[in-house]
Amino acid sequence: MSTELIAILASWGIATLRSATPLIFATLGETLVQRVGIINLGTEGEMLLGACVGFAVGVATGNPWLGLTAGALAGATLSLLHAGLVLGAGANQIGSGLAVWMIALGATSYVGRTLVGQQVTPLPALGTDWTDGIPIIGEVLSQMTLAAPLALLAVIFAAWWLNQTRPGLHWKAVGESALVAAENGIRPTRVRVTAIMVGGLLAGFGGAILSVDYTQTWAQEMTKGRGLVAVGLVIVARWKPALVLPVCLLFGLTEVATLRLQSAGFELSPHLLGTAPYLVVLAVLVASHIFARRASAMPADLKAVFQ
Amino acid sequence: MPDSLVQFEGVTRRFGDLVAVDNASLDIRAGEVLAILGENGAGKSTLMKMLYGLYPASAGEILIHDAPDKINGPADAMRAGIGMVFQHFSLLPALSVRDNLLLSWPRTPFWKSRRNTDTADVLATLAELAPHIDPDCPVGSLSVGEQQLVELCKVLNIDARLVILDEPTSVLTPDEAERLHGFIKQLAGRGVAVALITHKLADVEACADRIVVMRRGRVVDIAERGARSITETVALMMGQSVERKLQRPPVLEKIVPRLVLENLSARRPEMALQNVSLSIAAGEIVGVAGVAGNGQALLAEVVAGVEPLTGGDVLLDGVSIARHNPYDAVATPLGYIPEQPRDNGVVGTMTLARNLALRELAQGNRPPVTGRDLLFRFNVNPPDPMKTAGTLSGGNIQKLVSARELGGQRQAVLACYPTMGLDLAAIEMVYAAMFAQAAAGAAVLWISEDLDDLLAGCHRIAVMREGQLVALLDNSSTLTREVVGAHMIGLTETEAAA
Repeated sequence: MSTELIAILASWGIATLRSATPLIFATLGETLVQRVGIINLGTEGEMLLGACVGFAVGVATGNPWLGLTAGALAGATLSLLHAGLVLGAGANQIGSGLAVWMIALGATSYVGRTLVGQQVTPLPALGTDWTDGIPIIGEVLSQMTLAAPLALLAVIFAAWWLNQTRPGLHWKAVGESALVAAENGIRPTRVRVTAIMVGGLLAGFGGAILSVDYTQTWAQEMTKGRGLVAVGLVIVARWKPALVLPVCLLFGLTEVATLRLQSAGFELSPHLLGTAPYLVVLAVLVASHIFARRASAMPADLKAVFQ
Repeated sequence: MPDSLVQFEGVTRRFGDLVAVDNASLDIRAGEVLAILGENGAGKSTLMKMLYGLYPASAGEILIHDAPDKINGPADAMRAGIGMVFQHFSLLPALSVRDNLLLSWPRTPFWKSRRNTDTADVLATLAELAPHIDPDCPVGSLSVGEQQLVELCKVLNIDARLVILDEPTSVLTPDEAERLHGFIKQLAGRGVAVALITHKLADVEACADRIVVMRRGRVVDIAERGARSITETVALMMGQSVERKLQRPPVLEKIVPRLVLENLSARRPEMALQNVSLSIAAGEIVGVAGVAGNGQALLAEVVAGVEPLTGGDVLLDGVSIARHNPYDAVATPLGYIPEQPRDNGVVGTMTLARNLALRELAQGNRPPVTGRDLLFRFNVNPPDPMKTAGTLSGGNIQKLVSARELGGQRQAVLACYPTMGLDLAAIEMVYAAMFAQAAAGAAVLWISEDLDDLLAGCHRIAVMREGQLVALLDNSSTLTREVVGAHMIGLTETEAAA
């Protein structure tokens, strides 16, 4: 294989990975939330708040890591509102999630006005003087930051947590039946609050990566529905953390492809082209339902939300 | 005299006006299999659920050896070494057998991977009891009998010294039941006490050391194995007849088939109907007797067009009224009193008036303005047509459904346990309405557990067992409850006479 082809593939791979990273965090977080039987449409709002707060702190301190941490904490704090409304006040989960989203949309639009056009210190690239000499690998590392490897680690950790640990088993049990879980001495509400906060933390972190690392700018409503896409991708990934990775990468790849087609002068309305990632994911969803005809992987208690 | 592990002293439990358990005294000893035998509603489950901490006793005391503290809930009971396997399992079908066992195991380590040797013990009981079950497959893919074994393993994993089994063989195939009987004996051999709640004499025959018979909330007999003949035990279970002022139905002058079941077959996951054939004439009342859970519920839903049938047909005056495939929509012309009418017969959020007019509403017609007359006639309390049905008590919902189904003349009536939860006066009122339907020419199919009532009110009695009609008896003056009872539990008449 020619070096040139490998270089092109590597460039596409990096672009895909970078585009998918914020989505991987958000989708992973929502997967964990849905596994305990809660749906959180506020993921969009948590990402947005994470992006806004993370960017502001990054600009103010000049330290991108502090920005990312602040974004994650902002997302977790906002998710507590959803937890309080749903578990404390017994609110409808869909309504509560939409409220969280709208609150974040309004607040970030207002607060974020001063952030437009600001510069943030980016995360350092992974490449060093030592690796720069290596062909292709050096090139790849110099274009990458720690964000993408962190996303991979998060996926592996979440899969291990759910499938190999006792608390993970408790989470799954709560998602299948809070009643049976309680009979076995588990406190479903405590588990659910924890999972919702972890979901908010990951969504906020993903949002902060979007503003601090990926685009390095702030714009009003900059998540453009990624949080809602994350809620949908959970279904495509069949509620399995391990499948979050390929599903988000597929979405990212299609996004990169449409951007590159546009810049290559492909003659189709950019608006139509922009729908391609959603169409591809929809096709995967339909296909996965046709080929996996066995019982749905949906947590049983989650079904109650829609009844 | 072996040590007693648990002692009931004059225990009573009331639910509102109903006395579910009445002054019961008995003891359970280590290493014995104690069968608690009785018909449905005799109070056997309630008695054991009190021991397990699900209901507090209204009066009396339950003493547990070596456990001075009061049992306030299942968690306390488990700590005292008492485990219970319910008819409805508390398993999560989506999770693997292993995960389900780990979930309730007190010794599950943080790292629960198979590679962690600390988790090996959780599967030890399963390997012994059911080596054929793959611990990695989801519980939902197991048969009901296998699920029960998993549930049993859960209980044994808490090191129980008393295991309560609630009707364990009602969901098992004969092979599985036999294996369970063997295992119960093995458990007792290890010194574990087993309380076996059952209404099947086969369970008692197979493994009981002592037999407690309960009827209408009372402990009527406690006997060692072999001290009573089968006939004596059956008589104790069913008790003396209650006097009811029921008029015997008039003898039919001519037989004109009206409601005809032709080779009915249908299946549900847990039950199958096989070739049920029955012809009911105009004016005739046919009772269906049987131990609960032998297909009566499925039969009723197939005849009423709720469940689709897989073979045969249901004809009313020669016209098919059954549901032939799941996509059919059938509005039954029968007067149909379903089992558990709160769930199956009323819309809880609608008013009584609208509930009385459900058929009109379903057809898009304007409902009649009020049903006050009907409510008074059937003694529904309160007789307020504007009240929502969900607020009524169980007995009044039963009367409301009777009012709708028996209030106007029908060609045929299908009544499932139509007197469930009613007091004596209401029972006679519902029977009178049902018999009036027959007197005016309706064919009546009446499913009941009350043999005395069936014997007093039916022209013929059909007996169901395991999804089949095993007998169709003419209700002459020589027919006794013992004969019907023998058919219900599968004894031949000679065995019953012995």
